[in-house]
Amino acid sequence: MDNIYRPYLMNIRDMIEEAPGVRTFRLNFLNEDEGKKFQFKAGQFALYSAFGYGECTFCIASSPTRMDAIECTFREAGRVTNALRELNVGDTLGFRGPYGNVFPIEEWEGKNLVFIAGGIALPPLRSVIWNCLDLRDRFKDVTIIYGAKSVADLVYKHELKEWDARDDVNLITTVDPGGETPDWPGKVGFVPTVVEQAEPSSNNAIAIVCGPPIMIKFTLPVLEKLGFKQEKVYTTLENRMKCGLGKCGRCNIGCTYVCKEGPVFTAEEINKMPDEF
Amino acid sequence: MEKRLNKKDFDNFITSLRGKGYKTIAPKKDNNLIVLDEVQGGGEISLDHVITNNSIKEFFFPKTEKVLSYRMEKNNVQIEEPEDFAVKSVIFGSRPCDAFSLPVMDKVFNWDCSDKFWVQRREAVTIVTIACDKCDTYCFCTSVGLAPDAKGGSDVLFTKISGDDYVVETVTEKGESLIKEFEGVFSDPLSEASDRQVATVEKKFEIEKVKSWLDENFVHTVWTDFSLKCIGCGACTFVCPTCHCFDIVDECTMTKGDRVKNWDGCQFKMFTMHTSGHNPRSTQGERWRQRIMHKFKYYVEKFDSILCVGCGRCSRVCPADMNISEMLEIIATEASQPGNKE
Ligand SMILES: Cc1cc2nc3c(=O)[nH]c(=O)nc-3n(C[C@H](O)[C@H](O)[C@H](O)COP(=O)(O)OP(=O)(O)OC[C@H]3O[C@@H](n4cnc5c(N)ncnc54)[C@H](O)[C@@H]3O)c2cc1C
Ligand code: SF4
Ligand code: SF4
Ligand code: FES
Repeated sequence: MDNIYRPYLMNIRDMIEEAPGVRTFRLNFLNEDEGKKFQFKAGQFALYSAFGYGECTFCIASSPTRMDAIECTFREAGRVTNALRELNVGDTLGFRGPYGNVFPIEEWEGKNLVFIAGGIALPPLRSVIWNCLDLRDRFKDVTIIYGAKSVADLVYKHELKEWDARDDVNLITTVDPGGETPDWPGKVGFVPTVVEQAEPSSNNAIAIVCGPPIMIKFTLPVLEKLGFKQEKVYTTLENRMKCGLGKCGRCNIGCTYVCKEGPVFTAEEINKMPDEF
Repeated sequence: MEKRLNKKDFDNFITSLRGKGYKTIAPKKDNNLIVLDEVQGGGEISLDHVITNNSIKEFFFPKTEKVLSYRMEKNNVQIEEPEDFAVKSVIFGSRPCDAFSLPVMDKVFNWDCSDKFWVQRREAVTIVTIACDKCDTYCFCTSVGLAPDAKGGSDVLFTKISGDDYVVETVTEKGESLIKEFEGVFSDPLSEASDRQVATVEKKFEIEKVKSWLDENFVHTVWTDFSLKCIGCGACTFVCPTCHCFDIVDECTMTKGDRVKNWDGCQFKMFTMHTSGHNPRSTQGERWRQRIMHKFKYYVEKFDSILCVGCGRCSRVCPADMNISEMLEIIATEASQPGNKE
């Protein structure tokens, strides 16, 4: 019987400083066979471990259409994330996953997609954004609205440029008032306000929202005003997790185990849940 | 299969088990406590109690257990699997409520994927239960669908009859083969029917009413009101045979370490705390509600079992005198009030 708590060993192939305290790792399986067998879908997460310090949860930030490396982007927040930050290219870390449910991309085919992200919450959306862009002809308009506290806090700066340059992507970036620099070409304002101004059409559209709870709480009513039905709005939840396998009893919201039945939920599902997230 | 065993032959049974390499666990005195622990012989066994202070769960899901070890040399990490964690054992003299917690917990440790540490210990351990011949005010097994002589989860059930004789019933094939293996120790059952000495446990509430009330009352003042005196010490979750929440942490030196699974509990404030400081269950009332909801609603819906066997340990141990069956009685009464959905 397999040990469900045993992680794969991964090698850090590359790392990128995204913003102050935020780093992306590009990871390869140490065991090539494990790497070849590994599959996941956008929306899923994993438990990453710094040996000697423990495990913590991040989404898989890379797209399943690009399997040359598994990527994660994390913010230095506490014990394990601090230890991960001490690691360098060539070092080994643990990776347990993929866990959780997925964004139902197949159901979105032929629709307009509106991605809305705040701060460090772009990573889960980046997986699905690249997944959709790599299958670009299956979707209609693609709009990405992304905001961070300040210009320095924007993650994936190089990719934002790439998306901005594409004719088939409508990218709107914003920073909170006071977070702008003199040469900032994007908008200034909080994400919900910017969404309201941008007025993405809800016609034949899906909205995918990811961000701190406060941002989500204020963005959902705006989307409703714009005519997005609750079942057309997707988001991911981040309850504290330990096992990722529906056993440690930590991540539930009412009857729902976020690690098994989430982290991806529609606004309709979230509205039916008790307020425990 | 039915057999008979006299109390004076318990020692013989334990000695025979040990002779065949079984680790033997039974209730024994430890200062003022009665605990399930390893015994070397039948003389150590203490049966003069309602229920042991510790529950059976720690023999399947230890307080702290290694799920893997690793060695680190520069970038070279080697993972090693723990071995010999499932030792062939007999737990003798557990109570029916404790035994019943095992099939209940099998569900969570096996759904979707199996936790081998639980599963392999379950395979390695045989449960010989002794039916309760007395109870106390904290016991409420009959309110959650059990009985002082319930057989679920036991491989063999002993029930006291006349004198110090016990009638021995095998419940599972595993129990059957254990008794066969030690056939010489047992006598044949008495020919005439003799009275079984089984405690009478008063039914305190209707469990269906509790469930239907919980379905409607996630928001209710009773949660805060009842939990005001709770100090969040988590003792109730640690003694509970069905509480299974855990944490996973690393314990290490510079070059080697263990990844361990430790008991954790929903009554601790930090349990659900996000690293950002945001806490979805920030008050003790919310945490107490989670404990009740998990046991009598969430688990029931997900796994079709109540996550409580009515042993009453949580109430006996609580330093603040929180009493779970009192809470459930309040809920059942609330549910019976006119205007409340049943
Ligand atoms: C589904 C999901 C997806 C996520 N995706 C991302 C993402 O893509 N990027 C990102 O940055 N974040 C993400 N997060 C948040 C991320 O999981 C947390 O920021 C991270 O777990 C913080 O870990 P930490 O150990 O650094 O924090 P800490 O707060 O230090 O610790 C977290 C846990 O580690 C243990 N611990 C801490 N200190 C000690 C100690 N001294 N001794 C023993 N144990 C200790 C405790 O059990 C504690 O609960 C996600 C979360 C979820 C649930
Ligand atoms: S034992 Fe009592 S005081 Fe401690 S957490 Fe449980 S209910 Fe609260
Ligand atoms: S909740 Fe209390 S009464 Fe129920 S099984 Fe756990 S310790 Fe026993
Ligand atoms: S993370 Fe353990 S149950 Fe969800």
